[in-house]
This record gives sequence, structure tokens and C-alpha cells, in this order.
Amino acid sequence: MNTPDDLQKRIEAAARDPQNLGELQGADAVGTAGSAACGDLIRMWIKFKEQSGKKVIDKATFQSFGCETAIAVASLATELIRGKTAEEVLAMSPEQLAPGLGPLPPVRIHCTQLVETALHSALQPQPASKPEPSPDPSPATALAPSLMDKFTQPPHPAGKPKIIFKSSR
Amino acid sequence: MNDSITPHDAMRRVLEIYPGAQRALFRRFHIGGCASCGFQPEETLEDLCRRNNLDVAEVIRHIASSHQQDQELQIAPRDLAALRQKGPVRLVDIRTREEFEAARIEGAVLFSQPLMQEILGHWPRAELVVIYDHLGRQSLDAAAFFLGHGFTQVRCLRGGLDAWSSEADPAVPRYELEYAT
Repeated sequence: MNTPDDLQKRIEAAARDPQNLGELQGADAVGTAGSAACGDLIRMWIKFKEQSGKKVIDKATFQSFGCETAIAVASLATELIRGKTAEEVLAMSPEQLAPGLGPLPPVRIHCTQLVETALHSALQPQPASKPEPSPDPSPATALAPSLMDKFTQPPHPAGKPKIIFKSSR
Repeated sequence: MNDSITPHDAMRRVLEIYPGAQRALFRRFHIGGCASCGFQPEETLEDLCRRNNLDVAEVIRHIASSHQQDQELQIAPRDLAALRQKGPVRLVDIRTREEFEAARIEGAVLFSQPLMQEILGHWPRAELVVIYDHLGRQSLDAAAFFLGHGFTQVRCLRGGLDAWSSEADPAVPRYELEYAT
């Protein structure tokens, strides 16, 4: 049984000392998921090697901002996928990427999915031509501002304010 | 206008009636903190709970108590000053760099993406962290964000740096922000 306290401790332990953190020089593939503006961006770098006639993952690294669950999952996943082929990794479910955490509650599944999306972005064959960028979400599907939006984005759209000191008397 | 919420209300209405609802949702259920766990304004509370496998009645009770939760998150300037006399307190300033350089509480660190990663990865979750802004309007959201990430002793400075200057340390200059029109 993975109680909320147990899970939090496992996530904290994995996020406190993340493995494979940082950009990987000379990577063969790079994948990104999430949005930097909202602080939940995750980027993964992958380098392959030949082993027994197969192309397997030699090393994977990541960078992430924001969600510590995503950091924990990415740390565990980059260890787990070493030695696997791209096809084997693509066949893994989000839960299989971080078995050390145990089952995650639904409210944290999105963190695992973020890592899975970044991995798929790096490992899936790229289309010959670049697709057109998606249009902005319509008002009907746009998300409400997140907590992070509220305290990291400027409160006024008019740019940098001028600071006017008040007199002390 | 009826000030109670029902499972069929859109999140927009829930937030109108309970401005602290989003903070309450993230603190307890990890919902609404970032784009990945966000919700749409027109999504109903019932739908939000269904896709997150939550009991809607429990969520409504939790949201209804959000005002009290917000009160408990705040620390008064004089109380913070008294704590600082006993020992160092981790202070996080979430204003702009320009404001930080113009006036700040001594010992505070300016919030940034790298600092956030440092906080989430390395700061002790059971130690006091006080977050402040200019007037105390955004720091509640920041405190709730870190509470939702397991920081049990995070607080925000009531009234922000402006109140700190008025009530605890007049050496820190007060200021206003003027935007180009």
C-alpha cells in the first residue's frame, strides 16, 4: 500500500538527489513536453550505442522546472531506460517508467505523462516535414491561470513599471 | 446571488464565490498548480472531480474552508520580525528584480526558475519559509503552490513588503508602481 505520506517521501527522496540531471552533450535525440511559461517544462536528451547488434540507449538525461513529481519520475526513468531500445521504451506505460514510486494517485499522473510525452517526443520517428504549429487554444478549451501563472507572471501587461518611492513623512 | 456552490457549477463561478478555491485545491489535491494539472474555467466542479477521481462532496467542503486556510497561511510583519530576532528565517521575494533591487527585507532571496528547482529539490520541507510580494496579493498563491509540494511550514507575509515597512522596519522604503499608459 502506497500511502500519501509514503509516496511523498519517495518522491522527495528521488527529487532531492536527481540522477542524470542536465543537458547531454552530443545527444542523438531530444524531446520536450510541457510549457516553460508555466514552469512545467521537461526536456530529455538521449544517446544511443550499439550493443549485440541492436541500437540501445547508452545514456539519458533531463532538465525540468516545477513539479517535483516530474523530476522524480524523470530521474527514475532515465536510469530505467538505459540499455533498452527505442521500441522497448515506447511500449512502456507511464507507470512502468517509475516503478520505484509505486502507484501514483490520479492527481499526480500528469507528472508521469509529462515524462512519457518527452520520451516519446525524443524517440518517435520524426515526420519528413514539420507540421504546422498548433493554433492557440480557443477560449472554450483554454485553461484557467494556474497558481504558478499568478505569482510568476507580471500583474500588468504594460511592461516594466516605474518605481516611485513614497516620502517617509 | 446564492453564495453556495454545487457540483454543477463551472470552475469560473467556484472561483468567483471562493477566491481561495484554487489555492485550496492545489494544497490538498494537486490541482490547478501548473498547466499540466490545470482546469478550464467552464469545466464543472463535478467533471473536475470525476477526472481526478475525487469525491465532489469532500472537495466542496474543502473549498468552503479555504478562507480560513488562507488566514492560517499568513504571518504578520511583527510576528516575522520577532521570529527573525530568534534566528534566521528563509525569505523568498517573488517581486520583480527591479523592485527587489529597490527595496527588500535583508536576507531575502529573489525568486527565479533556478531557485524554484533548488527549493523543490533541496530545501527542508518542515522548516519555515516566508514568501512576500509588494502588497500581499500574490504571495498567497505562491505559498499554496509550495504547500501543495509538501512544504508544511510555508507562510506569506500579510500585506507584503509595504506592510513590513509600515509595521516592522521603516528603514525599508515604501513605494508605488507606475505603469506607462
